[in-house]
Amino acid sequence: MRGWGQRAVLFALESALGIVAVALVAALAHWSQWLLPVAVLLYLLIVVPIALVYGFWQALLVSLTAVLVHSYFNVRHAQPNPAADPANSITLLAFVLVALLVSRLSSRVQKHAEEAERWGRQMQDLYEFTRRTLQMNLHVEPGPQLAELVHEIFALEAVVVFDADLHEIYQAGLWETDPQELAQNVYYFETSDDDEETGLGRRVLRLGTVPVGSLVVRGDTSPLTNNAIASLIAITFDRYRAFANESHLEAERRTEQLRATVLDSLAHAYKTPLTAIRAASTGLEEMGHLSAGQADLVALIDEQTGLLSELTTRLLTTASLDSGEVAIHATPVGVGSLIEEVVAGLRDRLASMKVVIDLPNENLVLHCDGKLMGMLLTQYIDNACKYSIFGTAITIGARQAKNEVVFSVHSFGAVIPMADRERIFDRYYRAAIKANRAGGTGIGLSVAKRAAIIHGGHVWVTSDEVEGTTFFAAIPTVGLKG
Amino acid sequence: MNVTIQASIRILVVDDEPAIRRALRAPLLELGFQVTEASRGEEALQTLRGAACDVVLLDINMPGIGGIETLRRIRAVAPRLPVLMLTVRDGEEEKVEALELGADDYVTKPFSTRELIARIRTAVRRVRAPIRPEDAPIEIGEIRLEPVKRIVTLRGAPVHLTRKEFDILHCLMSRAGRVVTYARLLTAVWGADCREEVEYLRTFIRQLRKKIEDDPSNPVYVLTDVYVGYRFADAQMFQEETGEGAEQGGGEVKDSAADCEAES
Repeated sequence: MRGWGQRAVLFALESALGIVAVALVAALAHWSQWLLPVAVLLYLLIVVPIALVYGFWQALLVSLTAVLVHSYFNVRHAQPNPAADPANSITLLAFVLVALLVSRLSSRVQKHAEEAERWGRQMQDLYEFTRRTLQMNLHVEPGPQLAELVHEIFALEAVVVFDADLHEIYQAGLWETDPQELAQNVYYFETSDDDEETGLGRRVLRLGTVPVGSLVVRGDTSPLTNNAIASLIAITFDRYRAFANESHLEAERRTEQLRATVLDSLAHAYKTPLTAIRAASTGLEEMGHLSAGQADLVALIDEQTGLLSELTTRLLTTASLDSGEVAIHATPVGVGSLIEEVVAGLRDRLASMKVVIDLPNENLVLHCDGKLMGMLLTQYIDNACKYSIFGTAITIGARQAKNEVVFSVHSFGAVIPMADRERIFDRYYRAAIKANRAGGTGIGLSVAKRAAIIHGGHVWVTSDEVEGTTFFAAIPTVGLKG
Repeated sequence: MNVTIQASIRILVVDDEPAIRRALRAPLLELGFQVTEASRGEEALQTLRGAACDVVLLDINMPGIGGIETLRRIRAVAPRLPVLMLTVRDGEEEKVEALELGADDYVTKPFSTRELIARIRTAVRRVRAPIRPEDAPIEIGEIRLEPVKRIVTLRGAPVHLTRKEFDILHCLMSRAGRVVTYARLLTAVWGADCREEVEYLRTFIRQLRKKIEDDPSNPVYVLTDVYVGYRFADAQMFQEETGEGAEQGGGEVKDSAADCEAES
């Protein structure tokens, strides 16, 4: 109501200004007779600016006044019937037309100018918003900052942003209704629209076609601006996620590298003492003159040194595999001879075992790094030795399947629980098979996995009471370069 | 143990780790070897200039010029001096490099003193053995190979071998007890163009094992030195097993380095 009142007063004032001006000109013309012939032109000079600045209705009022005043003075100058004078009505019509034309033109220009200015402002705001989001600290969730920024920069009444990934609501400004429900509804029903009446702008935030959240604003913005804001928020969410992911990976990589370095230096540091111990203990044995008890102890030292040495070698192997320093020397390797070589290398361990080699195609050749693949098979067979039931056979197989060669090492032993079948390939993880606790470090299978991955292959295990346990490694026949 | 031959064996131990030298010293001395020590390659070369020795134990990884370079310089002045490299596991490239440069053999750390002494004996025996005609028959274990007639017998029964199989066996047997690298074996049998064709060689070795081994998957004659090469079992081993004297057997293995190189 107050708006109306104000507007009426303003209207009255503006009209009054014109009327006063007209009256002044009339009075002036009345006084100095020579002005009389151009009085009409002077009135027009008043009507035009009024129409230009204030608008048509004010100008119309002023025109009426001018015509009335003009005819009044004409009467005093002994014109018989002013109303009957056709010149008056023509003057009035001309005045009205001029007022209409000028006011229309002016209002159009003004509207254009206003719109341009508004657009300029919005562009500026968008630019500012873009700049601020780009500079945003991505170490923390961007949601709260984004809501505040939109609210502040676009001078909105209220803003709410919903991050579907984190399932978080961020709001700024004053909401009368529950903004959470509002924002979530936009996301779930995927409604993007602008409501002129309530001033609400709803947008689904999308990355490509995938909805990642929603935005609801209340206030004076344009649909286009809302679209732009929504896109910028979606992009910022994406940047945050990529950034978080990257720093996570980077941290992981560094830890892994550090671990590999430590392992490597430890293992190297162990080598020399181990060599000295083994040389000394076996030297004692060679020197002879040992009692049975002494010989037994020397044998024990030797045996344990062997275990330590094996462990060190494994640590070194994993360390080098993990540090990514492995240079792959891929050559055509005969699968049969590869298996034979590995079995030969494990001869001591396999002495008491029955080993079956199941190789349907003796001439199977795989393009791979023989040493790495040897390591993989060694780990598998070694593992089978440790956990198999004494007296059962270990079957080592390899066969071509589509685009890969599948190696398998089968043995009978304690069943590996389902939950452990993935994890046993992780380093330092050892299945909790209490019944068959064997010596080991929990490193071997991770080496096997790494070796397979380096070749673009993968590893898995099947295990059950009847079928026994089989470790597999599938290595693509093509794909390894260099 | 036969002390009489060992008494005269002078060993130069080259290793930068005092602990390892110390661990070797007592047993070697006790077993009648003469031991000289050096902690660096440079020092070893100096020692060799001053005093004669029969065999060198040379660590590969040492500060200074290192084992490989030391070996190269030793070979420049003493082409026939037995040199045994001390290597680490995973050092296959180094092993092969050392063998190609003329090292007689290698032992992998941590080694057992027994193994080391056996290798030392083999190396020394090889050098000291009277030079025998190249085409003298070789008999190791139950296998007898006659180079002239190109006949191989196993327990007296002839074994039919293809030409290449025979060449491989001949090359390996004439260097029995020592590892022959893939490249050297390939060069000796097929020529230098084929020195990379390891897979080819493996196939032939598999066939060969089927013919001469009782259990091809558990060979006793043609042994694999993983990633390095093949080694024919040392004659000494079979003689010890059958209770014969060490001295008698040594002669069977003729000086073979020249033999194999002559073929290549």
